[in-house]
Amino acid sequence: MEIGHSAYDFELPGVDGKTYSLKDFADKPVLVLFFWCNHCPYVKAYEDRVIQLVNEFKDRVAFVAINSNDPTQYPEDSFENMQRIAREKNYPFPYLFDETQAVAHAYKASRTPEFFVFDEERDLKYHGRFDDNWEHPNQVRHEYVRDAIRSLLENDIPHVSQVPPVGCTIKWKH
Amino acid sequence: MRIELLYYPECPSHERALELLHEALAQEGVEAEIAVIRIETQQQAEQYRFIGSPTIRIDGREVQPQPHLPYRLTCRAFQHEDGRLSPLPSLETLRAALRHPSTEGGEDDGDRTLGV
Repeated sequence: MEIGHSAYDFELPGVDGKTYSLKDFADKPVLVLFFWCNHCPYVKAYEDRVIQLVNEFKDRVAFVAINSNDPTQYPEDSFENMQRIAREKNYPFPYLFDETQAVAHAYKASRTPEFFVFDEERDLKYHGRFDDNWEHPNQVRHEYVRDAIRSLLENDIPHVSQVPPVGCTIKWKH
Repeated sequence: MRIELLYYPECPSHERALELLHEALAQEGVEAEIAVIRIETQQQAEQYRFIGSPTIRIDGREVQPQPHLPYRLTCRAFQHEDGRLSPLPSLETLRAALRHPSTEGGEDDGDRTLGV
């Protein structure tokens, strides 16, 4: 998805039993949509950082995680395991299952984790990785998603609009 | 000492894993060659008993074996001493595996013949 492109709508089940679409996040001026899963160690490396960011901004920013991996090949990524992990980690964001993988295809997502930050018009303003150091949280120098959120909340344009995501590939169905 | 680093190129951790392995070897004063093996197909994953990238074997024994996982093309997680999960083993885990390959490396998971 190109910078400036409008967010694609979707209708996906969440681990909380509800069905979500873009309108469920319309009350917030910024939307952070990110592709996520259960088994990827890069997701695990970022899990606490993402939870911290969500808890910090959730009053002003909508966050939604989507798992598009094929659970037949990767059973850890099943909906039941999504529910379990969301409960265990007390995820402060809706965690949705893209069983058909149509949403991942629409967004041209390729990795987990991979972040898309949209402005109030739901135009894409940042796409890519969370920050610049998956290995050492205490050595992060650029917090791309946080910076994009801050810029948008100040009605500014993010200084960095795109950084290639780093993580596992999305596990497509054959 | 026989060391193998098996990796799936779509997983970005293998270069850093190789660096860490060299660092562990240097710190332990061990001289050994590392066989770097690229895994690109599911058939290879099964042939090489590859549960994810990177997989590191020292004298045929896996660093942090996870025998419950299937052979597949993905990244794998390692648990660090502080409990967190990471795409890479910690330096200390690698050093310990080099010091005590027969114990720290974990259970042998059977036939280790590679390249067949």
